[in-house]
Amino acid sequence: MSGVAVLLGLLIVAYVGSMLVGGRTIRGFGLPSGAEYLVLGVVVGPNVLGILPRSMVRSFEPIFVCAAAWLALIVGLSYFVVGHRRVKLGRALVGILLAALVGAAVAAALWFALGKLNLLAGYPRLELALGAGFVGCETTRHTVRWVVERHGASGPLSDWLADMARSSALVPVLGLGVLFALAPDSPLTAFTIQARLGTTAGLGVLMGLVAVVLLGREFRRDESWGILLGTSVLAAGIAARVGLAAVATLFVMGLTIAVVSPHRLDIKMMVQPTEKPVLLPVVLVAGACVDFTAMPKIWLLVAVALGARLLAELVRGVFLIALLPAARPAGPSIGIGMASTGAISLALAFTLHVRLPGPAGNAVLVLAAAGILLGELIGPAMLRRSLERAGETHAVDAIEPAPLSLARPAFSHHAGDDEHQSPFSEPPRSS
Amino acid sequence: MSGHGGAPKGIGTRLVQAIALVVTFATLYAATRLTPEIENELGTVAAIGFLLLAGTLMSELLETIGLPHLSGYLLAGIVGGPHLLHLVDHHTVDRLTPVNTLALSLIALGGGAELRVDTLRQVAKSLRYATIVQSSFVMVVMAGVFIAVSPYLPFVANIGVVPLVGTALLWGVLSISRSPSACMGILAQTRAKGPVATFSLAFIMLSDVVVVLLLAVAMMIARPMITGVGGFSMRDVEALGHELVGSIAFGTTLGLVLAAYLRLVGKQLLLVLLAIGFGLSDFLRYVHVDPTLAFLTAGFVVQNLTAQGPKLVHAIEQRGGMVFVVFFATAGAHLNLPLLKQLWPFALTLCGMRAFSTWIAARMASRWADDVPMLKRWSWSSLVSQAGFALGLSQVIARAFPTIGDGFRDLAIAAVAINEMIGPILFKLALDRAGEAHDEATQVQRTSLAPPPPAEV
Repeated sequence: MSGVAVLLGLLIVAYVGSMLVGGRTIRGFGLPSGAEYLVLGVVVGPNVLGILPRSMVRSFEPIFVCAAAWLALIVGLSYFVVGHRRVKLGRALVGILLAALVGAAVAAALWFALGKLNLLAGYPRLELALGAGFVGCETTRHTVRWVVERHGASGPLSDWLADMARSSALVPVLGLGVLFALAPDSPLTAFTIQARLGTTAGLGVLMGLVAVVLLGREFRRDESWGILLGTSVLAAGIAARVGLAAVATLFVMGLTIAVVSPHRLDIKMMVQPTEKPVLLPVVLVAGACVDFTAMPKIWLLVAVALGARLLAELVRGVFLIALLPAARPAGPSIGIGMASTGAISLALAFTLHVRLPGPAGNAVLVLAAAGILLGELIGPAMLRRSLERAGETHAVDAIEPAPLSLARPAFSHHAGDDEHQSPFSEPPRSS
Repeated sequence: MSGHGGAPKGIGTRLVQAIALVVTFATLYAATRLTPEIENELGTVAAIGFLLLAGTLMSELLETIGLPHLSGYLLAGIVGGPHLLHLVDHHTVDRLTPVNTLALSLIALGGGAELRVDTLRQVAKSLRYATIVQSSFVMVVMAGVFIAVSPYLPFVANIGVVPLVGTALLWGVLSISRSPSACMGILAQTRAKGPVATFSLAFIMLSDVVVVLLLAVAMMIARPMITGVGGFSMRDVEALGHELVGSIAFGTTLGLVLAAYLRLVGKQLLLVLLAIGFGLSDFLRYVHVDPTLAFLTAGFVVQNLTAQGPKLVHAIEQRGGMVFVVFFATAGAHLNLPLLKQLWPFALTLCGMRAFSTWIAARMASRWADDVPMLKRWSWSSLVSQAGFALGLSQVIARAFPTIGDGFRDLAIAAVAINEMIGPILFKLALDRAGEAHDEATQVQRTSLAPPPPAEV
């Protein structure tokens, strides 16, 4: 298959993604994790049909690394906001800590399993354990949104879960930054690990500030796209060139813009519609890169990682019901409801697989894919049941809430918000 | 390449832009010096970001001294390119070829969509005379100038009279090629409307076709003169005919399909344009159809045979801007400065004579066509620019005539480099002087010259 044909195929996937985000029928289509595109990727990849060979994917890797970094920028930009309201600091801290706890549990379980099975040693062992922990600790914000929109859930527990899911993205993104900084083959040989970490974050802050000052005086849509794309692609490219985590750099850049820029809402609304069109091709390609023969006994490692995650999720549920009275009727199984890993985690695993090719990187991708599938099977259903038990679900037809992504933020004072268009948005109809 | 419209920018904004530009250069400079040995695909990603950001900022800063945005994009590429700061290396410039393909397809599509039959009718007489005079007079004069400077050009110094005349003929054809991309770039920035803008766009787009035809004929004539073997062959003409008819037929079909999409769906135009730019360009080359002519025809069909023209023009203007910045900045990075340094006296002579003969030809054509005064004075200004199209022609000639190929191509690169830098400035200046530009900088000047508003009572 030629490169052009692959590119056209991926553009079609992006087209489908942009249609999904553009319509008001979003509640009727798609899974919260985007697992269907992962499965499609596996099917068209070398494991099944072989339409998308790995060598072809390799030639497009820089584009997908850049795309994954762009997704991290979007996550960073919208990190402090859930739908109509700001994320509460306390909930965010709890979300981060519990996500770190889940990640640590998965990493520890894999670390010991790898030792027992004599599979890997040294940095690859650390890479696999930590990598799997990082890509297996996030809760996709789409799963909460999915339940909220389909089942009309609302209440304190729903808000808590939405805030926790949103804040949990910090752990895998920054964790990947740490993992890349620890890599022994880093091109920045003269830098200490701390300096590499500082460079990862510093570059994001610097480019974020450049974007903020350039967009600071007035917000002009045409120029804003050039500036935002220029700064973000430059930051991602430099970080990737020097062996650092472009996703972490752009996440920090997004956070910087979200904190400092007076136009944060305009920028968020400008870039938000690009998420699905960028995400779906990345997920599909990541699916095509999944190698089930990554290393011996991979299925045992998958079982260990998923088992550890489910146990850790139950512990998360226990913490939640201890902390939040509204969660008590739901029981500890509410933690299992938070087990849905998002496509962002898969994009991170893909980035790791590209940056650190080898059995460990491949295995992390397999574990991330398995985590997504398991999370999709049990996460949303368990979450819905938990919210039902907590009395926060209502008949959706009676409420008909607008999808969060389409609703105007309540605290937006920009009269012309609807006019902000992304490159995916439509030109005004000619008369 | 947007118009960057809106309120005028103050000194504070310009200062911020200058600092941001320095930070952009410094950041990539530090990265390339920290890891000098790494030249991989990920460097291409950084280069795209750098060219986009630095090009945008440089164009904003040069705007303050009246230079076109296009010069800013080029300058950003030259400074960051392989010959000065080496922030973007040769391999990276080569890897950015797909961006050029996309940009050229958007330029052709947009150029075709800007050609309206009714406006073409208004300048039809001017176009007719200009095409005949520019194509014949400039070609002959430049062939003569080439023969005059040939003793100083090593690659033709001792090849004999007949091969020299053949080579001069090819140089003459190369000299009448223009730059549609530069023309579109300046028009998009200035949002110019008027006889000079209309004539320039129509003439340059049509001259593409004329030059392709003339080159085929010139190569047919020059081949036996330069190589000393073979004769005139009608197979070249036959192939060219197929290519032209195929391009127009495919372009018409594409235009109708595109119009139907715009009418019935009208969504996700960025992705559609990407698919056309990346996917169709390669396909058209594969089936020996000229993508530029096909896209030009498609844009023309959408504009003139359907009601979807404004939608297409708007979509290309809105979504193509960033692609064009990277395209021109890459062209700047591609400029071979050492070669220009080596050949500049000859290149400058040839460029100077080309500009002069273009001016003379424009005056003659305007007089015979009885053009409006503004067109008589400024119609030549857009015809100085040369860019990728001329370089492409020089590559074709170099491949077809290996004995003179390398030297011919090097001289062409040096000459195009000069025309590429000077041409857009002249065209922008002409549009400003003709009062056809409606960009921000012109508005500021006009505002400052306007009488003060009446005082409130």
